[in-house]
Amino acid sequence: MRSFAEYLRLYVIIEKQYIKARMQYRADFIISSIGMFFSSLATLGVFWVILNSVPSLAGWSLMEMVFIYAFYMIAISPMQILFDHAWQIRFHVQQGSFLKYYFRPLNMMFYYMSEMFDLKGLTQLVVGIALLIYASIQLNLGWTPIRLLLLLMTLFSAALVQISIIVAASCAAFWVLDSYPVLGLAWKLREFSPYPMTIFDGAFRVAFTYVIPIGFVAFYPSQLFLRPEEVSPLIYFSPVIGIGLFALTYWIWTRGVNSYTGTGS
Amino acid sequence: MRSYLPIARGSYMVGLVYRFGFLFTIVGNVVYLGVAYYLWRSIYSYSDTIRGLTFNETFLYVGLGSAIFILLKTYADWYIHYEIREGIIANYLTKPLDFQLYNLFANLGSLLMNLTAITVPTVLLLTFVFKVKVAFGPGLFLFPISLLLAFLISFSIDYSIGLMGFYSESVWGLSTTKEIIVTVFSGALIPLQFFPAAMQKVLFWLPFQAIYHTPIMMLTKPDQALNVFLPMMAVQLAWAVTLFVAARLFYNQAIKVLRIAGG
Repeated sequence: MRSFAEYLRLYVIIEKQYIKARMQYRADFIISSIGMFFSSLATLGVFWVILNSVPSLAGWSLMEMVFIYAFYMIAISPMQILFDHAWQIRFHVQQGSFLKYYFRPLNMMFYYMSEMFDLKGLTQLVVGIALLIYASIQLNLGWTPIRLLLLLMTLFSAALVQISIIVAASCAAFWVLDSYPVLGLAWKLREFSPYPMTIFDGAFRVAFTYVIPIGFVAFYPSQLFLRPEEVSPLIYFSPVIGIGLFALTYWIWTRGVNSYTGTGS
Repeated sequence: MRSYLPIARGSYMVGLVYRFGFLFTIVGNVVYLGVAYYLWRSIYSYSDTIRGLTFNETFLYVGLGSAIFILLKTYADWYIHYEIREGIIANYLTKPLDFQLYNLFANLGSLLMNLTAITVPTVLLLTFVFKVKVAFGPGLFLFPISLLLAFLISFSIDYSIGLMGFYSESVWGLSTTKEIIVTVFSGALIPLQFFPAAMQKVLFWLPFQAIYHTPIMMLTKPDQALNVFLPMMAVQLAWAVTLFVAARLFYNQAIKVLRIAGG
């Protein structure tokens, strides 16, 4: 068993090489970053257009929505940057090239995911951080060390929830080969996470809170900083939810990896 | 024409292979419709009519937007780019086929596949589960023509982006940027009536609204006079012709830089 520090060192070495290789296509990096910039702001644009016609979205002002959206952008960045290779599992599984990941003395999920480091995702992270700072200033949010610690903790949990949903969906490839439709659905759900969960009721509210908990990616944790008096006590369990979901996803991944039999050629 | 129809049929059959995928796309669409329902219900808690649209009309608009979006989403830009990059395009060049028409008909096949597998179930869902009512008027008869023009515009844009494969290694950035601009400024996500008035004036002349807004309005408010619809269709027609011809000229230029490794 290798130590965490050893894995970290390996990761840095692998990504250094990867980034060097990617930088051969500099124009592609620039165009992709521009694409990422626009695509990550699309839903915020929709909120802006809506809030031109009505004073608030279920009681949330435009600036509060900017805060929630910024939280969302930061929370989904680790998934985008570190786990982007999840989208390719279906190709590797179909073409048999997935077999190579079995033959290294490394954790398979680590080895597989380390093969890609999504540079354009950094755009999203930077824009998210900038928007979060901007909204905090506009809303006069007082940041104490404890609140900053809470922010980091909730961001960490939110990132784990998002990573788990996408990686679990991509694992469908081990059983049905083409996981694109499942991933597409998971990706679509992701886009609903900055919505105020209070607009939903019935099955949707339950599903987004307990079944596929996208509410924990942005809205519930943001409440903690914007309106602490309205917060549901559930939010203090968010690290448990994040770590629990990731453990579940890891279990699905292990089962998938163990059941894969290759293409036979 | 006779040699192109089997191409459409072929790509329709290819679509049938991925039946399992349709299930997820339909589930995804149902969830989207549910989310849109709650979102707009909360927005309409302020007033019965916003920007001249009732809740029923807005929800129909957004629902149709998602149905038509899936219909026109043929991934043509990704496929064409892939075929150019991998050199597969050589297979087409040796055949007595026109590359643009070949792709047009292949996309028509996927469009028909999406229509039967996804759009029709979505529209049935809108009418029977969400109980959305459609009024009667001339718009209903213009809708099919308008949808066909919308397809031509959407295809020409995707096709031109795909042709960028002659010049660039990766199409992710261009395709994503295109998709965001088209979805936000076309009415696929949010009715154009909600945009600030000055922006609406500009958007009216752009090709993007001709893809979604125009056909959607024909079903959302079909009981308007013909002099409302005809200028919208004229803009559609002008863009369909312009973009189709522009894509053709672009191809004639781009094909000159093509080099395919032998072997």
